[in-house]
Amino acid sequence: MRKTILLVLLVISSIQFAPGQGLYSPGQPADDGRFAASTKQVNQFFRRFNAEESQDGKKRYYSNDAEYRSTDLRKKFLDILFDNETSSIEAELKKEFVVDVINEEQPKYLDFHQGEWFAEVQTTFKYQGKSENVTLFMKLQPEGLGYEWVIERVGFEPFKKYFDKDTGSKKQFLHPLSHELDFMNLRRAFQENPKPESYTPTDYEPDYLTLFLYEIKKGHFKFENVTDLKFHFFQIDNWYFELAQFNRPGFNTGWLISNLVKLQEGDEDAVLKYIYDQK
Amino acid sequence: MKKYFPSFILMFLLTSAVAVAQSNDISPQRKQAIDSLALEKVKDLSKYISIIGSKETQFSEANRVMDRAEELFAPGAEMGVSSINTKEVAYYKVRRYFERLMALNYDRVNISWYDIHYISDLERQPDGRFVGVVTVYQRFEGTSQEAGLNYRDTTKKDITIYVERKSTQVAGRTIEFWDVMLGDIRVTETTS
Repeated sequence: MRKTILLVLLVISSIQFAPGQGLYSPGQPADDGRFAASTKQVNQFFRRFNAEESQDGKKRYYSNDAEYRSTDLRKKFLDILFDNETSSIEAELKKEFVVDVINEEQPKYLDFHQGEWFAEVQTTFKYQGKSENVTLFMKLQPEGLGYEWVIERVGFEPFKKYFDKDTGSKKQFLHPLSHELDFMNLRRAFQENPKPESYTPTDYEPDYLTLFLYEIKKGHFKFENVTDLKFHFFQIDNWYFELAQFNRPGFNTGWLISNLVKLQEGDEDAVLKYIYDQK
Repeated sequence: MKKYFPSFILMFLLTSAVAVAQSNDISPQRKQAIDSLALEKVKDLSKYISIIGSKETQFSEANRVMDRAEELFAPGAEMGVSSINTKEVAYYKVRRYFERLMALNYDRVNISWYDIHYISDLERQPDGRFVGVVTVYQRFEGTSQEAGLNYRDTTKKDITIYVERKSTQVAGRTIEFWDVMLGDIRVTETTS
């Protein structure tokens, strides 16, 4: 009889527990360390890079904590903040970077609000009946009482063909005495030449963002999806690194450094040009 | 509202311990209290999701729980869901997401949550409200006896939290407290 009562109680209790297993309820699956090791948010990347949280991520360190920005902790964190499985960052370069950022005399930290880092967001939009890739370069800026992400640049391949200025002898021009004829040759320039960009200054650069916004307002672009995201950091003097998300089995996952470049004078512009023009 | 009242009181006490004037920053102590309140709401959401998804939950009960769950969210909140096989994100209004979860074609569904979470710093947005992100991991197991299917996945859920200072009248006195609402949730399937 007692056994039956016990069995009934067990069945009743299991009925009550089975459907409603919330966070931190009995019987929840235990992390084997992989989720703890993963750099789960970009925010955690910042905290780990600066050693502003405990190794298990449960405690946020503030300036009055002994462990706050501790060099030893930073060393441990920096080792796990690189993509060690697919990226081809040389070990020596990585080591040089780590030594530079944890330098006792002049340690280098990342600052969320300080600028010199931006997001590259891959999106798809419906444009002229086709799904097209649009790259949005976004930055964080102060606004009102806080901060906001804004679109600073746009990369869109089909726009490029509209601004393909010829060079050398092929380039069309308005001759230097056109003004004496009240620029009557403008008719030919616009009506008979498919490349009106030929008549722009040497340093002219098309503003794709304005074009993009105009096309959205005209209803020609319809948002579809965000397909990828990465970040570019120029905040550490003389270094550039790329931050990307790795969703894969194992312990080296989450937001990790996927590219690292030591910058010489003038390199920053070249890297930026590459980032903006690569797509 | 009632169940969060003790938390409000705690938050009030913590608030009054610091300067009363609205400050631009949230002190570490206050942040800790806000984190607890945010986590409590995330725990409630996780419990509601498990109940809505369970095949043992009656239709009327699931609808009641969906109402409760919706109350945790700021208006217009969406779920953005992606799987390993596609980079496409499917966007659902919160209610629609719950309805889809309830309608899943399995005989048995078990939704459980890993014993880990991560809470970001709070950042101030232009309107003065603070925003943060809580990350949790969910395990889903669905069994369909007829088709002999046994589906299992683990998803990472990045949950937006909005933190706002509000005030209420209690016995003629104005009491200020910090309130937490849930916002958009990004759901990513993990490979582990």
